[in-house]
Amino acid sequence: MKASKLFAALTALMLVLAACTQAADTTTTTSGETTETTEAAAEETTTSAAGEETTTTAGEEAPAGGGLLAEVQARGTLNCGVNNTVPGFGFVDEAGEHVGFDIDFCRAIAAGVLGDAEAVTYVDLTAEQRFTALQSGEVDVLVRNTTYTSSRDGGLAATFLTTTFYDGQGMMVAADSGFTTIDDMTDTTICVLSGTTTELNLTARMADIPYTPLTFDENPQIQAAFIEGQCDGWTSDKSQLAGVRSAWPEDQGGPEALVILEETFSKEPLGPAVLDGDSQWAQVVDWIVLATMQAEEFGIDSTNVDTFADTEDTNIRNFLGLPVETEEGTAPFDPGLGLATDFAAQVITQVGNYAEIYDRNVGPGSPLALERLLNSLWTDGGLHYPPPYR
Amino acid sequence: MTAVEETRHRPRLWRDVRVLRAVIQVLAGAAVLIILYVLWFNLTNNLRAAGLPTGFDFLTQPLGVDIPGSDISPSAPIWRGLLNAVKNTLALVVVGIPLLTLIGVLVGVARLSTNWLVAKAAGLYVEIIRNIPPLLIIFFVFNAVVLRFPVLQESLNISDLVIVNNRYLAMVGFTAQPNFGPFLAIIAVALLIAAGVWWWRTRRSEQTGEHHHRFLWALGVFSAISLIGFFALGGPIGLSRPILDGRALEGGYTGLAAYWAVLAALVLYTASHVAEIVRGSILAVPRGQSEAANAIALTSFQRLRYVVMPQAMRIAIPPIISQYLNFTKNTSLAIAIGYAEMTRITFQLIGNGQPAPQMIFLLMGGYLIFSLIISLIVNVVNRRMQLVTR
Repeated sequence: MKASKLFAALTALMLVLAACTQAADTTTTTSGETTETTEAAAEETTTSAAGEETTTTAGEEAPAGGGLLAEVQARGTLNCGVNNTVPGFGFVDEAGEHVGFDIDFCRAIAAGVLGDAEAVTYVDLTAEQRFTALQSGEVDVLVRNTTYTSSRDGGLAATFLTTTFYDGQGMMVAADSGFTTIDDMTDTTICVLSGTTTELNLTARMADIPYTPLTFDENPQIQAAFIEGQCDGWTSDKSQLAGVRSAWPEDQGGPEALVILEETFSKEPLGPAVLDGDSQWAQVVDWIVLATMQAEEFGIDSTNVDTFADTEDTNIRNFLGLPVETEEGTAPFDPGLGLATDFAAQVITQVGNYAEIYDRNVGPGSPLALERLLNSLWTDGGLHYPPPYR
Repeated sequence: MTAVEETRHRPRLWRDVRVLRAVIQVLAGAAVLIILYVLWFNLTNNLRAAGLPTGFDFLTQPLGVDIPGSDISPSAPIWRGLLNAVKNTLALVVVGIPLLTLIGVLVGVARLSTNWLVAKAAGLYVEIIRNIPPLLIIFFVFNAVVLRFPVLQESLNISDLVIVNNRYLAMVGFTAQPNFGPFLAIIAVALLIAAGVWWWRTRRSEQTGEHHHRFLWALGVFSAISLIGFFALGGPIGLSRPILDGRALEGGYTGLAAYWAVLAALVLYTASHVAEIVRGSILAVPRGQSEAANAIALTSFQRLRYVVMPQAMRIAIPPIISQYLNFTKNTSLAIAIGYAEMTRITFQLIGNGQPAPQMIFLLMGGYLIFSLIISLIVNVVNRRMQLVTR
């Protein structure tokens, strides 16, 4: 499209130039004619440019109307933007595999969209790179402990979906440092990841306390600086700090050498984000995330999902895409999301429900040992309230 | 007949070299313009389609973060943060370029020394440092040297003149005392008088033929006047010693550890290149010049100072300029260890939600301006150094 436009413009330009050069060499009598040619050529340029313009815009709007789902299904893999440096959430293990809470949501989305939880291409991103990667289409979905904020929603063209982890920012210090509250930390140096909401929250929290921020791109760099005593505190989402603390090197005293201060000084709802302008894709990702929570509410997990095949409960039959009675016979319920009717069953079978994902990666049994707290179902006093499947 | 002659005088348009040349020039220019236009059109169109901002209005938005080593409030506009970033880059360039020139010239001369040890040591330094990527040198200096400095609590304090720890390096500095203004005036007068003495010695030398010693004369006069002024005004310049009070460092001249690490690494790296240029330029001075200097019984210092170096420098300056430019551009590598120079701040702001294309555009413009200014200054010097042919 661009090439043809370039060609058209070049041709028009050549016409103009040819006319001009001739005009310079011919006598004045022919100059009227030349002007006409020039005008004609100029008109041609305008028309062709304008014509191309309309087609270009239309062509660009086409994928925005509902293309990413089809594109991912045609491609056969999901490009998922993730973190690779936070144990428990997004990390690369000894075997070179991506593991973690966020990674499991990438797998869930792949299971729901493609029917195969392993059909994921992980794209490791730093905090600074992530939105550019999303905007440029390098990743289909960003699941990288990303906080839902108004300016990211508005200014960065991101659409945030159901929060997968309700978090808050905390401060980690060395156990022998003597700091018990953040207010004690006058004149300290505090390490923080660059390009994060935590950086902004820290600035706000320390408005009246003199301190020096030390910003790095990646957690390993902060860890090196922290170990060498270059910074007194390390601030981040508490879940991230717990992850880092759980994997603290034994020769540095292991997790016991660090304390996460009690104070939580921000709200950090972390969840998947997609690019603005493709509501079908946004809905698909959203309902897959919600399905993990709904499954927990129904009591369905990866071990017992098969036993629900004969269930009488219409809600569960709808949810799992089992055939239900309709006026035209029996057929599975299709909510019209553009997914296979059994997408929820695929997600549960291949990845598990929310409780399984949580417990496996960050729950009390894992090294991070994080309590569910807000990340529980509404029936347990948490914030998970998945809308009905019907 | 006449027609034939006319064609001989004026070849047909498409075979006329002058016309063809002009057409090709115009076509090439038009092609460049069209390509730029297509790129611009593509960018703005895509940004608009994605609902992203296309202007530079964001520059007046609040910064939102603290910049290490500055007092700029987080509520200051973004452009002030960018100016501070320029200042930090400038701090590297202004200190780095004289340093690397000094080291480079010394090492370059040392490589040609007849002293075996000096020559080999210089050679070793050049060959090792020159062949390592600058990023690695920065990492090495930061992680293996600067981070290993004592922690804040065990700072190395050299009789209150220098304080070293792995967060800061603070040196004794100067502060203005009362009467600083008048003292500046005295210095200016002293400079003027010294210039007059210089001119008088030069003239006298031309008239009588005796040695002028103009540098010693001028220096002596300048020092005498400034010293008398200094004591007469009751010490208008005072020493400011760095004091470590708890965690806060006050007084003196303080630089963040990352600053010293980048400065040291890049100066060492670029100096090794300058050393090679200097060595090559000295070797490029015809051997006859040194022999002639020997023949008139100049000492080896005089030979270098009056015969070899002036000619070698003439050859060396253009390639050294390009090393200065490299040094300036390489300061962007400071991003790796979190020094708040232009690239660091730009990426930090992008990470915090400012539009990436505009920020990168500003960043490129910034480096371009830096490079052009350096080229300009050094080109002026170069023109003065070149041989004047009469």
